Amino acid sequence: MDAMFITAALASAEKVINAALNYDPATRIALGKLAPQVLSIKLTAPEICIYVVPTEDGICLLGHYEGDFTTQVQGTVPALMSLLKNDRVNLKDSGVQVIGSSIFLADLQHILKNLDIDWEEMLSQIFGDIIGHQGAEFIRHKMHWAKDRVSNLSRLTSEFLTEELQALPSKAEVTYFNQQVDEVRLGVDRIEARINQMLQKHLQP
Amino acid sequence: MNEPKTTHFGYEQVAVEKKAERVADVFHSVAAKYDLMNDLMSAGVHRLWKRFTIEASAVRAGHKVLDIAGGTGDLSYQFAKLVGKDGQVILADINSSMLNVGRDRLIDRGVAGNIQFAQADAQYLPFPDNTFDCITIAFGLRNVTDKDLALRSMLRVLKPGGRLLVLEFSKPQHSLLEKVYDTYSFKLLPMIGKLVTNDADSYRYLAESIRMHPDQETLKGMMRDAGFVNTEFHNMTGGIVALHKGIKP
Repeated sequence: MDAMFITAALASAEKVINAALNYDPATRIALGKLAPQVLSIKLTAPEICIYVVPTEDGICLLGHYEGDFTTQVQGTVPALMSLLKNDRVNLKDSGVQVIGSSIFLADLQHILKNLDIDWEEMLSQIFGDIIGHQGAEFIRHKMHWAKDRVSNLSRLTSEFLTEELQALPSKAEVTYFNQQVDEVRLGVDRIEARINQMLQKHLQP
Repeated sequence: MNEPKTTHFGYEQVAVEKKAERVADVFHSVAAKYDLMNDLMSAGVHRLWKRFTIEASAVRAGHKVLDIAGGTGDLSYQFAKLVGKDGQVILADINSSMLNVGRDRLIDRGVAGNIQFAQADAQYLPFPDNTFDCITIAFGLRNVTDKDLALRSMLRVLKPGGRLLVLEFSKPQHSLLEKVYDTYSFKLLPMIGKLVTNDADSYRYLAESIRMHPDQETLKGMMRDAGFVNTEFHNMTGGIVALHKGIKP
């Protein structure tokens, strides 16, 4: 991909993020305290590497960085998005690989989870207090509604696939199946060990 | 009788000692509306070219940076933030009008303490040997009378291991793009210049000087001949602009 496209995309994203961070001073200060650490994000599909540099003014997004990074996360976009949204601290089976300090990553994740942009202040400065307040109420209401719908959609889809369509096993069935597989594996291991023991006894002169 | 030495000023041949004067006239004329014209001419893309240059500079806190032909201070502003209070940035330009605009603009943006201003000729840089960690010259080298002399002067004031970045118009890499670019440069550009600054000639010179500037490989060779190592270039926007990099051994 042409470096100019990445530079343009990062410049735009940086401008939007820093403008939004102006309305969440607590997050901006918390990010400033992380300087001079650098997070490298290496996307594997498409293959792009970007660098997130927290500063006192917000963050810098770079497409080219020649210094040492503090932490590098590698993975696909969906895997990284999933990590960002969840609380999980264990990266096993997440499709994401971390190189370097995981503390810095945890700090960033914690700061982003507490992101609280003052939409009302932002809109009030543009449209005035009354329209700003109404606009912010509307955004809050819609975001709450969207969060509910996403949560419900996820639950209903899961129930439909497992209970109604019976196309997928339920979580309990999967857990029970995994336990049985584990028991079989342990049983096979025991038999293998027993056979080895018997063979050794038999072969000894 | 000896023929007087000449050099190019756009497509025109002028006496060597006259070129600096003619270039100075161009920049005195456009200084006040330089930023506006840059945005109009490049549709704002010059900001991305400069941003890429900043990233490639690898400038860190505490570094000493020389921004030659720094003009209105776009690069110096970013460098001043990167080097912090322990570093130093010198914004140098041969043209007093451009330097005044740059200095006023940076002071208005609150940049002070770690920045100094110098009216200096790139061919004869008034700094001690081995002074800077990084030198940049953005859209300035093509206006220099003796480019080889300027490159050697930059090498001298760089610290060993320091890097020179030359951001300059270059040769488009596709023939179709080149045709479109030529039409734009020679027809539209002087017209925009006439409308905005009432000075079509300066922008005609701009288009001509770009065509007279060495292409990517030639400039890379010139940097190598001047003594730089690990020389390389990176084309941007199809080669309309190229960023050359060289390291002082």
